[in-house]
Amino acid sequence: MDVGQYLDIFIDEANEHIQALSDNIMILEKEPENKDVINEIFRAAHSLKGMAGTMGFKKMQHLTHDMENVFSEIRNDTIKVNSNLIDILFDCLDAIEAYVDTIKQTSNEGDEDNAALIKRLNDFLADGKDAGDGSGEPAPSEDAKAEEQAKEEAADAKDAYRQIRLEENDIKTLEENQSSGMNLYGFTVHVQKECMLKAARAFLVYKAVEDFGEILIYSPSSQDIEDEKFDLAFSFILASPQELDPIKKAVEIVSEIESVDCDKVTPDMFRIPDASAETEAAPAEAPKEEAKAPASAPAAKAPAKKDAKKKQTVNKPVTARTVRVDIEKLDALMNQVSELIIAKNSLVALSAQETASNGQDQGTRQTFQEQIEYLERITTTLHESVMKVRMVPIENTVNKFPRMIRDLSRRLKKPMELVMTGEDTELDRTVVDQIGDPLQHLLRNSADHGIEAPEVRKAAGKPETGQIFLNAYQEGNNVIIQVGDDGAGIDTEAVKQKAIERGLVSEEDAENLTKKDIIDFLFMPSFSMSKVVTDISGRGVGLDVVKSNIEALGGDVEVKSELGKGSTFTIRLPLTLAIIQALMVQVRDEKYAIALASIMNIENIAVSDIKYVQAKEVIYLRGLVIPLVHLDEVLDCKPREDKPDNLIVVIVKKGESYAGLVVDSLIGQQEIVIKSLGKVMDNNKMISGATILGDGDVAMILDSNAMF
Amino acid sequence: MENNKNEIRHKDTGNVVDEEKKQYIVIKIGDEKYGIDISYVDNIVRMQKITRVPKVQYHYVGVINLRGEVVPVMSVRRKMGLGDDVITNKTRIVILKLEDLGFVGILVDEVKEVIALGESEINRNIKTTHKPDSMFINGIGTTGDDLISIFDISAIMDDPKS
Repeated sequence: MDVGQYLDIFIDEANEHIQALSDNIMILEKEPENKDVINEIFRAAHSLKGMAGTMGFKKMQHLTHDMENVFSEIRNDTIKVNSNLIDILFDCLDAIEAYVDTIKQTSNEGDEDNAALIKRLNDFLADGKDAGDGSGEPAPSEDAKAEEQAKEEAADAKDAYRQIRLEENDIKTLEENQSSGMNLYGFTVHVQKECMLKAARAFLVYKAVEDFGEILIYSPSSQDIEDEKFDLAFSFILASPQELDPIKKAVEIVSEIESVDCDKVTPDMFRIPDASAETEAAPAEAPKEEAKAPASAPAAKAPAKKDAKKKQTVNKPVTARTVRVDIEKLDALMNQVSELIIAKNSLVALSAQETASNGQDQGTRQTFQEQIEYLERITTTLHESVMKVRMVPIENTVNKFPRMIRDLSRRLKKPMELVMTGEDTELDRTVVDQIGDPLQHLLRNSADHGIEAPEVRKAAGKPETGQIFLNAYQEGNNVIIQVGDDGAGIDTEAVKQKAIERGLVSEEDAENLTKKDIIDFLFMPSFSMSKVVTDISGRGVGLDVVKSNIEALGGDVEVKSELGKGSTFTIRLPLTLAIIQALMVQVRDEKYAIALASIMNIENIAVSDIKYVQAKEVIYLRGLVIPLVHLDEVLDCKPREDKPDNLIVVIVKKGESYAGLVVDSLIGQQEIVIKSLGKVMDNNKMISGATILGDGDVAMILDSNAMF
Repeated sequence: MENNKNEIRHKDTGNVVDEEKKQYIVIKIGDEKYGIDISYVDNIVRMQKITRVPKVQYHYVGVINLRGEVVPVMSVRRKMGLGDDVITNKTRIVILKLEDLGFVGILVDEVKEVIALGESEINRNIKTTHKPDSMFINGIGTTGDDLISIFDISAIMDDPKS
């Protein structure tokens, strides 16, 4: 039978389990005695093994099986956790991840059997046991199962398969099978409470047992199972020429199965004690049977249509509460919404013209206006919904970092830990996919350059363990991700010297550089401060790549650093990529759009109020000194003919700094669709794209971040 | 396709070979006629409002709205150092579709016709006093008495970073 359609589920779940293992092994390293964690690890490893087995990935199953052995020894306190073991386990995790990656690409687990790794595992196991008590090998895991089962005993509806109610012809089928020498087995399988895709599990169980024989009776019916119309248990009767034990094992191996009850059954067991021949057991059974009745009615019909039903099960993928959608389909949807907004904008423009040109009768105009406003509301909400669909938490990208820092900590022999907050912050899918590398660069930087050696830290009166942090949160239309450390900070003097050395700045000029200017050198291509090139960082590819990656996503990076106290890199990313709310302004005869999110307020400033600081024009507003940027000058517009008494100033904000953009006039707020300017024109920082206005004209979108 | 083929004799063997003819759009810039390989041409549009893009290369005059997409427009005159375009009602924008660069429009004074030229009708051996980086043609085609300079599209699009 084809398991292809469960491949996606397999990959997703495998990744989840790998992540769970990774997280928990990290905790285990810190708290080697924590039983809950060990149990959690054991469970994840067990599920992984089972899943790999069901899907037929033997090598992966082998590796996870040996890992599971180790975990079970840990659980039994026969071996102790040490960092050596943790290293081996992480290597195993990497190997499993490699399997999953190969499976993802080729639907096949590949040829690598990781024999060396398995040997290391087993050697460790052997050593550990010699040191320990050295007895009892496979028993513990069996015990564990027995325990789990014992717990399950308490739960009712245990041997539910005994209560399957059958019609006469079903019993006949059973009899026929029995007389042809088949063994009949009744099964009741309990799925774990937290299982997401119960129907898929049932299907996998069916698939597993069908290797041994034929399922004669389903309870509930296969249709109900497909529709997930069952609680945590389902039963079936299997006809097989084989022994019970291997079949039971095969079922238990399916992941997220809580327990399996099974035994031989005979057709006689299912004979309904009818009114004429009441048996002594009947009164006691009666209420239970009544409860079962609705479920067994469809079950009775099932065998007849069994074959057809089975095919349906195969063809119809089980859907849970979520739907997987190809990102391309979402992109297409997004583009269509963009088109709709452009069309709506032209309607708005048209209506404004109409109103201005001819005096239509009041009533018609008002209805028209209302309808347009209605359309505007709908498109805006539609856009928001589509954007939301595209949002995913950054969690999947950042949750590999604790492991990375741990490895770095061991490699660099500097104790450090990573503290993350706001992993559930959501960003557009495309941004999340591309933010991983820059973040990784910054974290590596912190680990390598930021955090000092423990002796140095101690001497400086800091705790020996270095703190690296990653904080993510939403701020207006931006998402902010801060990455930093409490390490040495950036030595601006050293950077300055290096810049002079490299001929990037003359010695005299260097004296006048601000701290920010100096830090900016770090973002220049191939500018590395590391004296030794390590394989972690120091090759000078890094910060410039970080910067260009983030700018390509429409964001920017800022650095704050204090010598001896640490550095913080603040990444600001736009929440949305394609459609934004913008303020349209006019400079001479040209229209420009400024993202509304970056605007603080708009001021009308008398020319006489302009002051000068360091020969530059500024305005002094509510305690803030705000430098003025004449857009006509920076955008090479025609010089202004008249000399106005008042200037319209759009005050934009970037982090803590402000700038006042001088424009000729304001047009109004508008929702705009960002279009790329293509590749042929020189990328100029001031223009972040273009948009098409309601009248079909093109307007440039100003990147106010470039005005600082 | 029949009239695109031209029966000629191979100069060494004398055998008849079929020659594939390529189509070129003939445009005029100033007094000179140029040919653009039609496989690069997506569309030809009338002159329309071009929005200036600040701070870009001199030879990009701006962008236009082409069916809802923003398309950069280049002045070949400026690129070739022939000064500014004179816009008349014959001025057209030829929209090129390039594999890796997407759509780019080029401003031309006039679009004349479409002709088919075989490789044998194009003289690839051009001697010129121009410097290599100001060479924007890679052949001269002949039809009757007319000479048509064949544009080297990649040379036109090439932007040596200064």
